[in-house]
Amino acid sequence: MKSPQSRTATQDRPPGASAGPQLSAAAAGPPEESPAAVASRAPERPLPSSVLTPPAPSPPPHLDDYQNIIGQAQVDALRFLARELKGKTLKMVNSTAVGGGVAEMLNRLVPLISELGVNAHWDVITGGNDFFEVTKAFHNALHGSPYEFTQNAKDIFLMYNEQNRARMQFDEDLVVIHDPQPLALVCARGKSPARWVWRCHIDLSHPHAQLWEFLRPFVEQYDAAIFSSQSFARQLPITQYLFYPSIDPLSEKNKDLDESVVQKVCDEFGIDRSRPIVTQVSRFDRLKDPVGVVQAYKLAKKYVDCQLVLAGGGASDDPEGAAVLQEVKETAGNDPDIIILDLPPWCAIEINAIQRASTLVIQKSLREGFGLTVTEALWKGKPTIAGAVGGIPNQIIHKLTGTLVHSVEGCAFQIRYLLTHPEFAKRIGANGHEHVKENFLITTNVKRWLLLFRVLSEAGPANK
Amino acid sequence: MTRTREHRSKPPLRKPEKPFYFNTSEHLLRIGREQAGTLSQLLQALRECPDDSIFQHTLRTLQEHHFIRHGFSNDFAHWSLSACNEPVLAEQLASVDVHEFTTIEGLRQRMIGTVEEFLQQRPLSADRPAHEPFYFCASTIVVLPTPFAPDSLPGFIDGLRRVSVHSIHHHFIEARLRLKRMSNDFSQWIEEEVGAQDAALAIERIDIYTNTMEGVRQRIARITEQLLN
Repeated sequence: MKSPQSRTATQDRPPGASAGPQLSAAAAGPPEESPAAVASRAPERPLPSSVLTPPAPSPPPHLDDYQNIIGQAQVDALRFLARELKGKTLKMVNSTAVGGGVAEMLNRLVPLISELGVNAHWDVITGGNDFFEVTKAFHNALHGSPYEFTQNAKDIFLMYNEQNRARMQFDEDLVVIHDPQPLALVCARGKSPARWVWRCHIDLSHPHAQLWEFLRPFVEQYDAAIFSSQSFARQLPITQYLFYPSIDPLSEKNKDLDESVVQKVCDEFGIDRSRPIVTQVSRFDRLKDPVGVVQAYKLAKKYVDCQLVLAGGGASDDPEGAAVLQEVKETAGNDPDIIILDLPPWCAIEINAIQRASTLVIQKSLREGFGLTVTEALWKGKPTIAGAVGGIPNQIIHKLTGTLVHSVEGCAFQIRYLLTHPEFAKRIGANGHEHVKENFLITTNVKRWLLLFRVLSEAGPANK
Repeated sequence: MTRTREHRSKPPLRKPEKPFYFNTSEHLLRIGREQAGTLSQLLQALRECPDDSIFQHTLRTLQEHHFIRHGFSNDFAHWSLSACNEPVLAEQLASVDVHEFTTIEGLRQRMIGTVEEFLQQRPLSADRPAHEPFYFCASTIVVLPTPFAPDSLPGFIDGLRRVSVHSIHHHFIEARLRLKRMSNDFSQWIEEEVGAQDAALAIERIDIYTNTMEGVRQRIARITEQLLN
């Protein structure tokens, strides 16, 4: 999950400001370049005006809108599940209302649960810059980064949690706290019969030891914890559930698009749809290994014709992202078939169109949370090559729903193989779509929340 | 002669007295305490893990990957190959047919026996670290009704076509653990309520390892439609 700070920085950027989106071809253009190469390369020009400002948000879909996707039987199952929960109350609490995966997910999840008759609310904690600086450091340290954990950090964390506890009411039947920032709100549960659940979206497999010892007593006061992957969990005395993250098939990034929209986006970005397109969508971040993707493409290109599209963001408002983007450009060299797009975060339709136009999708991450870009590609039926890290192996069953790789060379071979075996590629793409439909759609997550609510409600009075 | 044989193989169908209640089961996945980083740890965990975990990694896997005809049929087999690089053990574990068991304990003992035997033959494989750990999980199951409760064969076929594959799994795969017999809910109802013993047997013989759950649904529908012709 993105930290509140980086989210804020992105949101605060005025639309179309100079630090904003840029379209750049990989080649800077050596003087001896042939006219043919110049003509075939995506031109150095600003992005189309249509993507310079965020589009107006579309209204959230209703449950019946998903019927064509998941089937009437699944919609019925959700209604049956919710029947016994009618009138019960649920509160979700996190640390930001906009930006980032958790807020994006809650934006869709809470209305759907409410539509099913559960009285669902979503509250956001408040805090000063000092609080969010501390929790950003917590976030990184829980991922295993070195950190000097000080008494001052503890005090700031506890003070803001206490302020929020005093300000908020917790009268609901189920309270769900997302991520570490509001973790200590659990001190408010007292003797109330409500159930409290901690939804941890980050990888706790190798946390900073001292910090984890500080946070652990809070976690143990919950009735249950939820993780995004088996490998992210810790040994805890409370029940731990596995909720995979999910995508919304009706969101701008994942909804079906008219062929004309896909073509228009490709035309605008200089992507040639008459030739194979290999794409990685991700921030310009070393852990996503965009340089490795370019190297794999170059190895594969000796055998197969294709274009490489690297579509992402993060280079405009993040110094490290800019450095990574520069490394990518240097590795790409003069190749006119490498198209690098530094897109603003609201370009969901464009990302959707590029994914749909792609022949293959790559996510060659070196470390990963769950890897929702993999989910998005699989949902679009794309044969997908991905690093076997984080939550990706939950999505890609090697050679069945995609292919897993561990190196640049492995990635290059899979590009060659999939481009030259279209029937196999088509089959794993279709399997991947079904896998997502079954496990990683927002409607499956609604079901999990309803199931959890029922299971916790039936477990008798809380005894914490 | 031919007429007599046809008469014997197709006794008159009865009007069902009891409806077939199509239910479905939903599963909430729990992360278990057991982990295995080697095959000997897998063996130990197979002995100690709760029944729910054995169920999860064998019968539930069949449902989770119900759209795939190829590949290994349970998570233990898949892990033995992908993380331990032991294709022989993977094939042996994959060949354990959940259809042969009416109790989880029986299934557990077969898995344990398979791993034990393999490690006796290849002791060096026991403590070789796997590429990635096996995390034991388990399911909390919630059974739900569906709107379909037909009391006729045409109604049964209609319901069969309209319920989710989770319902097919519930009645066809999970049922044998509930019934504690080598049968399933569909066969039982068709035999007891409709009196079509041959059709019940044909349904029971559908191979769950070469069909997807969707394929199982289609096969059952075809068998029951033939009763109406």
